[in-house]
Amino acid sequence: MFFLSRTSTSSPFTIRFWPFRNRAKLMLAALRSRCSSLVTSPPSPSLLNQSWKLGFPDSSRVFASSPSLSSAAGAYDPSEVLTIPEVEKILADVKADNVIVIPTQNQSCWADVTIIATGRSDWHLKNIAQALIYRAKQKQIGAKHVRLPSVQGYNSKWIVIDYGKFVVHALDEKARVYFNLESLWTTEAKASDNSEKELQTAFVKVRPINNSKKKPAAKVSS
Amino acid sequence: MIQPQTYLNVADNSGARKLMCIRIIGASNRRYAHIGDVIVAVIKEAIPNTPLERSEVIRAVIVRTCKELKRNNGTIIRYDDNAAVVIDQEGNPKGTRVFGAIPRELRQLNFTKIVSLAPEVL
Repeated sequence: MFFLSRTSTSSPFTIRFWPFRNRAKLMLAALRSRCSSLVTSPPSPSLLNQSWKLGFPDSSRVFASSPSLSSAAGAYDPSEVLTIPEVEKILADVKADNVIVIPTQNQSCWADVTIIATGRSDWHLKNIAQALIYRAKQKQIGAKHVRLPSVQGYNSKWIVIDYGKFVVHALDEKARVYFNLESLWTTEAKASDNSEKELQTAFVKVRPINNSKKKPAAKVSS
Repeated sequence: MIQPQTYLNVADNSGARKLMCIRIIGASNRRYAHIGDVIVAVIKEAIPNTPLERSEVIRAVIVRTCKELKRNNGTIIRYDDNAAVVIDQEGNPKGTRVFGAIPRELRQLNFTKIVSLAPEVL
């Protein structure tokens, strides 16, 4: 259980709160990192500007992830947290069945990618979760602030490993059929797209037609 | 501000319709529960022929409150109703879909499962 609590406390979300205590330091670091990024390398601002969809201010994230200014340019390196191909490879290594990767950038404002995998037993599910944590830890050996994903439901049929940018769902076979997550996310994409299109068309075309139609209809009725 | 005897709507398809809070989990003698808190509740009204029945005692997470929720950036969120999602002891939702808008604070409180079932996250 110690393991569990540690992972949950060191989840990316807890990082957010502590910089507010020493705001002066934060500002300094933000300034410095901005200056260094401007001077040293042109691609770094783009890295910094990739907002993380959770509403973190960029400066605090830079400061929280790496106070050392030398690495500030690559502070939010995607390789620090795992990338999606890597996660897929890990899932293949632990023999998770039926892995589905769903890009959810357009639908949800809280995760870019949803990954769903099936485990054969409770132990298998735990292994999947542990493998993902272990790899994330190994990638950040030597880093001052190790960022681990938050794991929820470790002893149940549905384990969620939340990396912030993307979320891995590991489910039991029955639970997967029961919750039917893939249908939820895939159909929602179509539905939302259609509704948006319908809205646009409705606003563009219907208005003038409605105005013109109202008068003849009134005449007919009268 | 949910306290014992408060009636809540149910924001999922578990089969319950109305809950009554009977206890707030997390501390002794806690007076009010807010968004993201787990409560013990009684089902006061249920849809017929569903696994959940009237007068059953369950756990639920509060997902919407009439009392406003303040964020650090100054945003205030307040809903029209008090609503909860039925969960089991492990934190898995009993229903398969969540209805209505859900605040993203639930994700930080380790209810990502509920957030991932929701159609809209504020």
